[in-house]
Amino acid sequence: MNLKLQGGKVYDPINNVYGKRMDVYINDGKIIKKNKIKGKINKIIDCSDKIIMPGAIDMHTHIGGGKVNIARMMLEELHHDHNDSCDSSAIIAPTTIKTGIKYIQMGYTSCFEPALLPINARQAHSEMADIPFVDKGGYALLGNDDFFLDLVKKKASQSLINDYVAFILNASQCIGIKVVNPGGINAFKFNQRALDVDEKSNYYDITPRTIIKILTKAIYDLGIPHPLHVHCSNLGVAGNYLSTIETIKAAESLPIHLTHIQFQSYGNNGDRNFSSAAPEISHYLNKTKNLTCDVGQIMFGQTVTMSGDSMSQHKNHHHAHPDKWMCMDIECDAGCGVVPFRYSDKSFVNGLQWAIGLEVFLLAKDPWKVFLTTDHPNGGPFTSYPHLIKLLMDRSFRNDIFEKLPKSVQEHSILKSLKREFTLKEICIMTRSAPAKILGLKNKGSLGDNCDADITIYDQNKKDIEDFFANPSHVIKDGKIVVKNGKIVNYIWGKTQTVKPEYDAGIEKILGKFFDKYHTMKLDNFKISDDEMTNVIGSEIKVNECIHKRK
Amino acid sequence: MKSDNKRYITCPFCSLHCDDIQVEVNNNKFKIVSENIKDCTSKIEYFNIKKTSNLTAISKYKKINFNTAINAARKMISRSEDITLVNHGTDVNGVRSLLNFAASHNCVVDHVNSKYLYRNLGIIQRKGYMATSLTETRNRSDVVILFGNNILKKSPRLIDKVILPKHSLCTNLKSRKLLLVGDFDAQSVKIAKKNKHHIENFKIDLNDIPEILTKLMSDDKLSKNLEGIRKIIKKSKYLVASWITSDFDKCNDPDYVISSISDFILSMNQTSRAACMPIAGSLADATSSQTMSWITGFPSRVKFNGKSFFHDRSICDSQEIIRNRNTDLAIHISTVNHNKVELNDKIKNIFIGHINSTFNIKPDIFIPVGNPGIDHRGIMFRTDNVVSVLLDKIREIELLSTQDVMNMLSEVDN
Ligand code: SF4
Ligand SMILES: [Zn+2]
Repeated sequence: MNLKLQGGKVYDPINNVYGKRMDVYINDGKIIKKNKIKGKINKIIDCSDKIIMPGAIDMHTHIGGGKVNIARMMLEELHHDHNDSCDSSAIIAPTTIKTGIKYIQMGYTSCFEPALLPINARQAHSEMADIPFVDKGGYALLGNDDFFLDLVKKKASQSLINDYVAFILNASQCIGIKVVNPGGINAFKFNQRALDVDEKSNYYDITPRTIIKILTKAIYDLGIPHPLHVHCSNLGVAGNYLSTIETIKAAESLPIHLTHIQFQSYGNNGDRNFSSAAPEISHYLNKTKNLTCDVGQIMFGQTVTMSGDSMSQHKNHHHAHPDKWMCMDIECDAGCGVVPFRYSDKSFVNGLQWAIGLEVFLLAKDPWKVFLTTDHPNGGPFTSYPHLIKLLMDRSFRNDIFEKLPKSVQEHSILKSLKREFTLKEICIMTRSAPAKILGLKNKGSLGDNCDADITIYDQNKKDIEDFFANPSHVIKDGKIVVKNGKIVNYIWGKTQTVKPEYDAGIEKILGKFFDKYHTMKLDNFKISDDEMTNVIGSEIKVNECIHKRK
Repeated sequence: MKSDNKRYITCPFCSLHCDDIQVEVNNNKFKIVSENIKDCTSKIEYFNIKKTSNLTAISKYKKINFNTAINAARKMISRSEDITLVNHGTDVNGVRSLLNFAASHNCVVDHVNSKYLYRNLGIIQRKGYMATSLTETRNRSDVVILFGNNILKKSPRLIDKVILPKHSLCTNLKSRKLLLVGDFDAQSVKIAKKNKHHIENFKIDLNDIPEILTKLMSDDKLSKNLEGIRKIIKKSKYLVASWITSDFDKCNDPDYVISSISDFILSMNQTSRAACMPIAGSLADATSSQTMSWITGFPSRVKFNGKSFFHDRSICDSQEIIRNRNTDLAIHISTVNHNKVELNDKIKNIFIGHINSTFNIKPDIFIPVGNPGIDHRGIMFRTDNVVSVLLDKIREIELLSTQDVMNMLSEVDN
């Protein structure tokens, strides 16, 4: 089957194409060059009034695993479906099917769960296998597990730690490694309530800085494309921009990705001891090579926060709205906390958080280094992306909302002075090409020859930016038209994207003994094989290449 | 006997889902080789083929071949106005297939133990909750309190694997304190006193748990006995409270008792660390609630309304529906159950179950399926809801899985 997208305005940043009118050809799930087509064209979509981009990639969205299910159960009232309207409340912890539908209708074709506990991997993958349409993947949590901390305490060699990291990626079928509040989740189990970057944990006597340094090195040595994905220490604490900067330094110039950086860009100036440190953080972001971030923009309204950071979630439970919450210590592996929350546009703190997120976006010089996220659902549901894009592309729209926020917020933010309006080119980079690049997805985020035919076609006649991005006219996944004029026309199932760096099998012996001695399951049961993924869990896997052979 | 017939299995028969059980399999007969797990051995070996095993499909009293049974079931399904699916325990893929079926036939899906699920869930739906898991408890706890009476009998290896194991990473096992609070009988106390470990058995009426916990957290003067317990609790660094919800069935207000335990744990966390670890039922309760949550948004009691799943705790209560005959066909799914299943003879019953299933009355159609973990692979969730295990296949007697059969039945309209 050959499909031709005829005469659309194409955006393909990886190939340096920005708004050029051209045809795109698809065969057998792949994009191909015109001269490679065999046989006749079976179908032509007239794109003369369309804009064509690669399918969008959400590189940080909580869509599967224990904590999402806790939120679903806790907030049962939100699932009672009111005519399936896409109001935000129904989508903050949606079912797997709804997750897939809402993403694909917005033109998103790949989504990555950023807090996959290795011990919970079977659940997370089973859930994600039930999300239709999109490709998915997970970042395995490390850095709070007792096995790792014990290795560090015993001054194990970097090479042994690299084996462990590589083993975890293989066993949990993940594509990256994330660390959440490095060492802090573990310290909370020993009743420590805060852990700064250079503070030692009471039990293991290890600082977050050490953990960051060792893990960034492991990822670099193993050639894993995605840099260490870091949820820093002191999340949400006024004045935390200093620990954020220290975390950046802890990587010692190796690649590092800071997630939901909005929550990490807080100063403690002013009469309320809460201020924006977006300029300071952006300064670092702009000048530091090998540093990327996603923003985690907040949106006003009801949401639910879910995080591996049980230390900070337990601290935050007093702000729960509605007043219910849950925290959990998990299997000497990590933890989690689920706290529903309502961001209010009448609140000084929430208003300023909103402004800080936008400041970070607007101050970032290079769209290849900043990714568009709301840390779904922590800052707000992913369905608010079209609104967020409009905030970035339309200064007067942004200012209208800003002017309605409390005066105190306006006095504490430079937002109004930022005249920048993002272009389609920049949005396309931030939501497609840059995430594909940073995740090492060679066949995605691009319309080049032999790339996966994951494509979003937007309607140029839609003049409102939000409407434009919320309602693409066609979405193509793996070469099949799955959305047409907002309607699902074809159900298909995506793959699980993984990476499988090499490791010395010796680590399995050591870890096997550790499991037999301390765990309540066997190492063999902890590992998820490719066969299990396909035949029991129900998702095909795609193994992505490492950047280089293990160093 | 050759030792190469020995292998580990993952046990599907209680919510601990141990995967360190060694069995020997010969001619499709399995025998537990691991020692000192008498109760579990009988639980697992129960699923061997017996003389009385229902290896073939049955239509009331007559043996019929499998395809005839499927066709008869399909007919019954297409004639039915209102089908109710009752889950007595199956794996993740089994639950997935029940929901698929429900979506094509607009039916109710419920788990028999839903009432217990809602008791524990009630806490996180109303207020705060601090939880922990099996391995955390094993390695971090210094005080464990078991509330109720039957928890140790229902999860035979809780003591061995979790509460008083051989090794613990971060605590000194010798000084770990185990408190029994409730009306534990001599047998339970004996199980708890493993290795002569010192335990405190505090006998009380289960209805008094809330009052006693309040007293323990207060500064009031207490009886000598209670004072001792208060000392232990005050000194604890990581305290775990555990219970099995059905133990509170006879209490005047089971919800209140459970929520008082959770409140006690919450207040402990103001200055120290503590967490709850309730033990789920043995009919793959956690597997059902987890899978249903991600697919439908609700952990149990849903009905497909033609567009999506809706939930109502009373309208979708299968036991009530069946009792009141608000359904004309009940499909029971039962792959790990040891107990007799009660069917209502006033409606039609299709029973999809393991070969040693027993019932009060014969179902209209019985379709034998395999046990996950014995006859086919599958996934189940442990009691802590955070770990799910892979179940393997150890026997080949050509039994299909629940998923296979439900998928066949789903094809009714095509
Ligand atoms: S404790 Fe439960 S799961 Fe473990 S072997 Fe016994 S019955 Fe099976
Ligand atoms: Zn996140």
